[in-house]
Amino acid sequence: MKKRVLTILMAITLVISLLAGCSDKSAKTDNATKENNKAEATKGPTQSPNSSSDKITLKLFSNLPDRKNGQGLIEQMIIDEYTNKNPNVTIEVEALDEEAYKTKFRAYAMNGMPDVVSIWGQPSFLDEVLEAGVLAELKESDYANYGFVSGSLEGFKKDGKLYGLPRNTDVMAFYYNEKIFNDNGWKVPNTFEEFLDLAKQIKDAGMIPVAMDGGDGWPMAIYLTDLLVRINGNCSELISKGIRSGDFSDPVFKEAAELLRKSAEVGMFQTGYDSQDYGTAMNLFTNGQSAMFYMGSWEASMALNKDISEDVRSNVRVFTMPALANGKGKQTDIAAWNGGGYAVSANSEVKDEAIKFLNFMYQQDKLSKYGWENGVGMSAQDQSAYMTGNETILQKQFTDIVKNATSVSGTPFNDCGTSAFKTAIESEIQSLSNGTKSVDEFYKALGEACK
Amino acid sequence: MDEVGKKKSRFGRYLLWFILICVAVIQIFPLIWLVNFSIASSNEMFTSGLLIIPKKIQLGNYYKAFVDGHFLLYLKNSALINGFAVILVLIISIMAAFACRKMFWKLSGFVKIVLLLGMMIPIHATLLPNYKIYHVIGLTDTIWALLIPYVAFSLPQGLFLMSGFIESIPVELEEAAVMDGCGIYRIVFRIITPMLKPSIATVAIMTFLNNWNEFMMASTYLSTPKWKTLPFSILEFTGQYSSNYAVQFAVMALTAAPAVIVYVLLNKHITKGVALGAVKG
Repeated sequence: MKKRVLTILMAITLVISLLAGCSDKSAKTDNATKENNKAEATKGPTQSPNSSSDKITLKLFSNLPDRKNGQGLIEQMIIDEYTNKNPNVTIEVEALDEEAYKTKFRAYAMNGMPDVVSIWGQPSFLDEVLEAGVLAELKESDYANYGFVSGSLEGFKKDGKLYGLPRNTDVMAFYYNEKIFNDNGWKVPNTFEEFLDLAKQIKDAGMIPVAMDGGDGWPMAIYLTDLLVRINGNCSELISKGIRSGDFSDPVFKEAAELLRKSAEVGMFQTGYDSQDYGTAMNLFTNGQSAMFYMGSWEASMALNKDISEDVRSNVRVFTMPALANGKGKQTDIAAWNGGGYAVSANSEVKDEAIKFLNFMYQQDKLSKYGWENGVGMSAQDQSAYMTGNETILQKQFTDIVKNATSVSGTPFNDCGTSAFKTAIESEIQSLSNGTKSVDEFYKALGEACK
Repeated sequence: MDEVGKKKSRFGRYLLWFILICVAVIQIFPLIWLVNFSIASSNEMFTSGLLIIPKKIQLGNYYKAFVDGHFLLYLKNSALINGFAVILVLIISIMAAFACRKMFWKLSGFVKIVLLLGMMIPIHATLLPNYKIYHVIGLTDTIWALLIPYVAFSLPQGLFLMSGFIESIPVELEEAAVMDGCGIYRIVFRIITPMLKPSIATVAIMTFLNNWNEFMMASTYLSTPKWKTLPFSILEFTGQYSSNYAVQFAVMALTAAPAVIVYVLLNKHITKGVALGAVKG
């Protein structure tokens, strides 16, 4: 008897909870359709029933959770502008930061992507995504007049088909505090050997030479890429060959790794650099505790950031990795790439509208112009039309760096392989730089990750 | 002799106080640190000192946390989801513990073991399969998407503590209740439950604290702000590369407050609950 009562009770609870779930949802959809119908009914005769007057909801999945600053603000500005111009369109933004974004991206890839998504035009991310076939193909000819910097679309292509558009041009460089340099009589180095000497001098003077975000792995991987380019000139072929075969025995790799270790050995980076994160490293620089900071062009907005003391903010300048005395690469062979961007989901029910929105974002006076005006970095499109002459010195320096570049590295080393390779290099590179692993052990670990 | 004994005991008491104060300071320090950092500006954070003396007290951080971080909406969601989760876990674990420990049926031991097995399953292993299931039955982005896993993952622990405690309640009480004409539910809810107070407090607090800060499942199963919980508030201030740490600290201070309050309210019972449950289990 007892048993039966319990069974029945449990069954009832189960059914109720299920019903509650369902009824809730069906009620909602009912309401939604009712409202839609109502909206259409009221519009009815006054408007011609063309497709553009239908209510459309675009879902945007973004990797920019902070909507009030930087890149996220720009994205939100464009969304607001678009929904103002197209009142029938609502854009729902879902934003997560990088790690959570990638986890959820995988979940979405299983069943039903949002309509517009953030992507990275790098093999470590894009290869798996394209294999799953979740992104819609874009017509490359449509973008002939969008002023994309030549070569910037390459990372978003597979078998000659275009699947996404790049948002930024990112350049890696050393930010330095000109005032500190002048006060101490330090000079911007012309060769890597001078650079090592300078690091020693700065360290002897009791300052941190370069603030390095070593905890994350990728800045040092880019540092390594920078060195590879200095040693050998263009390295993209060499890198992709190494990754395909899992064999990094080429002496160029070895030399670059040794130079990275040597940099750490002469005390170029702060104590504990190999576990400290982005914010810590950046704040060492913005507080004037370090003389230089190795980071990408997106931080050019430092010059406009009111939270940073005037003393530092107005004195930030930049130089690229100095050349090696006996290397093939020059200082103007820069480490630059077009990383993040946007794509449209292949199975989107409102694909046309999604592509329309994508194209709207990439009109040259949108992402490019707003980004430039707010100093969030360089877009992957031609920005020369928006030069007002009021740019910060940093912005001008970066524009010059890109304009005068003799070659561009393309996707950094860590993003050239699979995601397993990326994980391997970003977790091993600290051990390489601080000497707990030898150069050979480091490349062996990378080689294994390629298999 | 007496004098010496008194002195000794007084010294002993001072020592005890001293040690207890030290422990208390160590325990409370992170909270002080959290509040301290939440009123500084982002750039003051990387000084070498332990605590910061802010140039200007930045209450704007809290304003931003409230407005830009959608604090109130997320607080409501968090409170609702956690409240339901705690209530469900309590009801189910009391009923299940009673059924498995006090009632005689063939599979009682087996059912208990199956329920306890849940402790062995790592949460993250269930992330994507659950997402797939929720998607198929249309539960993503509803309150159920969080409530179900929160209850499911807290239940084994709750059951474990409850069944240890329920064992220690003398069977004569139930017998007396039956003699007086109680039905089974009356026995469970009128006779047994009031005696379970310490372990109810323990289970409630554990369930609450576990789920209050949970983010991985929430970020995967939810996509619109409708049911987002408090940890999302911190995310609103995460930039692509670097974040607004000061406001994040303010959000964390606000997030920690309810948890601290719940703990203070229930903490009288929690030690009792854990100790009793452990010995008699």
